[in-house]
Amino acid sequence: MAIDGLIILDATGRPIIQSGFRSNTPAYPLLHIDALNNAISKSSRPDDVDPVLYVSGASTEASSACCHVKHGELRFLSPVSGDMDPLYAFAFLQTFINILQEYFGPISAETLKDNFDVVYQLLEETLDAGGHPLTTSPNALRDIVLPPSFLTKVLSVAGVSGLASPSANSHPFASPIPWRKAGVRYNNNEIYFDVLETLQAVVNKNGTPAVSSVWGRVDCNCKLSGTPDLLLTFSNSQNLNDACFHPCVRLQRWARDRTLSFVPPDGHFELMKYRYAPASTTTQHQVSVPFALRVAAINIDENGGTFDLALTSRLTTRPLENVSVELFLGDGAAGANCVASHNASWNFDPKTLNLRWEIKSLPPSSTFSLRGSFTSNTKNPRPARAFRILFEIIQHSFSALKIEQLKLTGEQYKPYKGMRGRSTGDVEWRW
Amino acid sequence: MAAFDLNTITENASRLGMRLQETISEHARDLTIARGSGSNYLDSSEEKVKNIRKQLDSNSDREKLEAMKRLIALISKGRNVSEYFAQVVKNVASHNLEIRKLVYIYLLRYAEQEPDLALLSINTFQKDLSDPNPLIRAMALRVLSGIKVPMIGSIVVLAIKKCAADISPYVRKAAALAIPKCYSLDSTHQPELINIITTLLRDRSPLSIGSVAIAFEAVCPTRLDLLHQHYRRLCRTLIDVDEWGQVDLLNLLIRYARTMLPRPVETTQESGDTVIEVDSDLRLLLQMAEPLFQSNNPAVVLAVARTFWYLAPSSETSKLVPPLLRLLNASPEVQRVVLAYLVLVAEPLSQALSPFYTRFLVRASDIRQVKKDKVRLLRAVISVDNYQALLREFVTYAEDTDDELVADAIQAIGYCARLVPDSTQQCLTSLMSFIQSKHDVVVANAVIVLKSLVQLRLQQQQSTLSVAGSIASTSPLAIISRLAYHIDVIRHPKARACVLWLVGQYASSPTVQENGIHERGPEGVAEWAPDVLRKSAKSFMGETSLVKLQIVTLAAKLLVLNPTDSTLGLLARYVFSLARYDQDFDVRDRARSLSSLLSGVTPILQPQGEDEAHEDAGGVVLRREQVRMILFEGKFGISEELAAEDRTAFGSIKAITGKTFGDSYLPDWLEEGTEPSLRDTEDDVPQGPVYAQASLPRAMGGSTKATPVVLTPTGPSPSSSYVRPEGYKSSWTDLDRFYEDDNDEEAEEAESESEESQDEDESEEEEGEEEEEEGEEEEEEEEETEEESGTEDPDDRTDSGDEHTQHAG
Repeated sequence: MAIDGLIILDATGRPIIQSGFRSNTPAYPLLHIDALNNAISKSSRPDDVDPVLYVSGASTEASSACCHVKHGELRFLSPVSGDMDPLYAFAFLQTFINILQEYFGPISAETLKDNFDVVYQLLEETLDAGGHPLTTSPNALRDIVLPPSFLTKVLSVAGVSGLASPSANSHPFASPIPWRKAGVRYNNNEIYFDVLETLQAVVNKNGTPAVSSVWGRVDCNCKLSGTPDLLLTFSNSQNLNDACFHPCVRLQRWARDRTLSFVPPDGHFELMKYRYAPASTTTQHQVSVPFALRVAAINIDENGGTFDLALTSRLTTRPLENVSVELFLGDGAAGANCVASHNASWNFDPKTLNLRWEIKSLPPSSTFSLRGSFTSNTKNPRPARAFRILFEIIQHSFSALKIEQLKLTGEQYKPYKGMRGRSTGDVEWRW
Repeated sequence: MAAFDLNTITENASRLGMRLQETISEHARDLTIARGSGSNYLDSSEEKVKNIRKQLDSNSDREKLEAMKRLIALISKGRNVSEYFAQVVKNVASHNLEIRKLVYIYLLRYAEQEPDLALLSINTFQKDLSDPNPLIRAMALRVLSGIKVPMIGSIVVLAIKKCAADISPYVRKAAALAIPKCYSLDSTHQPELINIITTLLRDRSPLSIGSVAIAFEAVCPTRLDLLHQHYRRLCRTLIDVDEWGQVDLLNLLIRYARTMLPRPVETTQESGDTVIEVDSDLRLLLQMAEPLFQSNNPAVVLAVARTFWYLAPSSETSKLVPPLLRLLNASPEVQRVVLAYLVLVAEPLSQALSPFYTRFLVRASDIRQVKKDKVRLLRAVISVDNYQALLREFVTYAEDTDDELVADAIQAIGYCARLVPDSTQQCLTSLMSFIQSKHDVVVANAVIVLKSLVQLRLQQQQSTLSVAGSIASTSPLAIISRLAYHIDVIRHPKARACVLWLVGQYASSPTVQENGIHERGPEGVAEWAPDVLRKSAKSFMGETSLVKLQIVTLAAKLLVLNPTDSTLGLLARYVFSLARYDQDFDVRDRARSLSSLLSGVTPILQPQGEDEAHEDAGGVVLRREQVRMILFEGKFGISEELAAEDRTAFGSIKAITGKTFGDSYLPDWLEEGTEPSLRDTEDDVPQGPVYAQASLPRAMGGSTKATPVVLTPTGPSPSSSYVRPEGYKSSWTDLDRFYEDDNDEEAEEAESESEESQDEDESEEEEGEEEEEEGEEEEEEEEETEEESGTEDPDDRTDSGDEHTQHAG
């Protein structure tokens, strides 16, 4: 009952990085790679693959499951055997992806290939041969595995080994706080909070939301010296529900007075997640959707159909950005022909059979429209019953979450603190 | 002073610069390689590969490093490079940490394949166990335990033992993780390994405890008695353990609690309130686990949910619902898994789930398994209050592009109609509207669901003898007749067969007999039935066997209802003769058996040429009433669409894949728990001064909310922050020990307590409560110190850490 290993596949389904699989047969990782590639090729829609695949082995004893996650073009898969909670594997995969991002920034097949030695070191340090995660806190890892930098590369080539690996002298795991590096020093002490809120809504045919909720996340970038002890107070914390926190947060303080008291890790980390539930809007706990989609007509006949859509922003001050409206046109859809107003663009993807209408920026209270028709090879096409609408609003948060106060104890300096908000939305609009 | 510093810095910098320049110009070629990218290593030619051996033997660290990188690159390309083992192993004592780490990565991979070569270098590993760098110590142990040669088992045990007493918790963790490997290599070492585990269990640092739990499960899963002394402390440290350790530790504690603690007992008092008696140790575990619901690691949340599902009294199991619902938004993969788990608990927890049904609304973009589970959850929460909204949802889903979702949704409508009688009208209306759909799937599923609904309603009418058909358009028979009229539209074989069966089964409409109005149809048969037979006889050849079987059955049934009508007889004869020569032997068999069954009812089915043969057959000829009985009766059993759920363990992979993976057996509760005093530890015995200190805040401690959690930064060494809380933690557990220790300062208090608690059981309860209070106090205490001396506190800890590093050095 353990995570057997980790495999990273590139966009074409070939393995780039592969952990040891010491206790399994050599064919074991290949079986899993095959199982995943098969499942992907069989699926009707590219993303419609069960994240947990059953992989039958030679005997029932040997059967296992393949848990996989897609990240960008890469796929991370982790075979598990024995009766284990797949969430354990998924949590590990997510943690590993976060670590890779912390080390290399945005990750792609190229960055992984360029830094494969670091990736292998990370893999050895994060996952034990027995299948249990070892050290996963980025702060502790940075002591053991050096992040790649131009300097270290130059130095290692130049043969200045002592300088290339300063950790030879300093002691890893010397920090008394597992998640924070010891002896951090910055000239400018700064801490930044990024609040990202996502509106998840399903809107019924008549335009009333069946469900709409806002899920928020506070990402933190901490550049503070020493061992700062922070106390963060939000102005409207009573509206935050279902919160979960980074291990550094003292849960008791949150339970008592809804403040965040923590000694932050160094660098980037996810401080908390929450669900925003407005107190004022009666018992519904609903947040209004910032636009309206008017489906003037969708007529479906034997070999296709016509449609006429109008998207109106309900915001009065800010524009909706990067709006995309997607509709699956049903199996056998052959093509579409549309006219979009205001120079908005549309396209039909013959692979996913999705019609996508893209609007760079939808100014406040404006209306954009799209009308057109589509053809289908199957009789009586069956397009999806709902539009999927994605959008962004810059510098806006649904919850209007504000940091009231950030108190720092334990250190003498006064930190600079910054906060910015961003909102995105993922709305299903039924027609 | 500053100027001096500056001087040295510039001097150093220029020196470094010069040196760099020298080496750079010297190795300009290599630099471009390094700058280019690591992918050059990946694409290295065969020539370079041949060079590796030479490079490994060279004196230059740079060469060695490059060779090691090439090797790792080859590994990642999937090549077996075990041939270099001998050369690589030599470098394990390199002074360059970078090289050493790569060597260990290589060794970790190949030590198992080349045990003999690894054995040769075993001394190096053993030496590295005393390396000043904990990283190297841990690596050495990991390689050592990875060498799969039973011969060195005892050496490994010794190494583990050494590392288990290491000052760095990181190495202790590695030691714990090495234990299962050693055990699987040679199980005869079990006694020694158990000893090591017992030592490790005493570890005060939360870092390694999770791995100890893993070792425990692997080596001695049945020796839960070893945990007695540690149970309470393990519960208390839970919050400070790293997230992976929390999962493993919770799983172990669940098993311990199930085996050693008494089951929570629910008793209903005279006043009608139910009182739940929870053992204080169990309460402690639940209390300590509950805050972890707020972990951002889904695996931890699930482990806590498991704790509540398996241990908490039924009134508290619903606490696991909101955290699991929160996970639905974490990521699509997590959503998929959590939904499967929620389906498992949906039935007992439907009360707690139903307010949140909007979280299960199916999105068109969901993956298939998610859609399926969401519909199952929505089904599970249907109640009188929310059925309107849910029905609307199901009707929407019937338009989905996913056929399985359509089927699930329509079946859910049928289920709703059965569960909530008020909704039946609405359900039938929507189902009837589906029959006109352009899409086969919708029609087929609607028909199948309608069939079972109609049967159910007819059955109810028969049993209650109520007046048939409250509203004409949706009375069962009206539905059947409408289905009959739509027989041409219904193309799906299963649905067609279904309609045909319905028509045949209910063709003898009772209304006809009551009213005596039967203008058009033959006597005793509903007017629409013969026409259905006519239509299907016409299309008989084109049907699937499933439908053919039903056509034959329909013909037989109509014939029994009215044996005299000549048109019916001819139709039936036509159908039977077609069926007699059908390709499918099932159809032929059915036709033959039915025709001989009907031989006593009407001679019309007998083939003309075979009269004599038939007479020879002899046997029993049944009367019409008997045949009717055979054909029509006993058909009311309605099969449930979903097979009964077997008891899949909550949080096991079986819920997702449907396949069993090994056996994760969780024992049932013990009838009576083990003696709580087993869990009393020396730590729980009061130490005079600390105790006095603790008694002060107790007075006010009780008022605050009981969430006894402080997330404090904790030191890595066993001697750091844990000792103090442990010291004055709970004095109340062992009265006997109190009596022994007469000159204790707290003798008075203990005595006053003992008066209250003459009864054994009572004292047990007392203890529990007191302990909890103590817990709170402690939190209060720590909390306060933290707030008051915020500046000192972290520094203190750093200090202790520094001390520790000095030790290490």
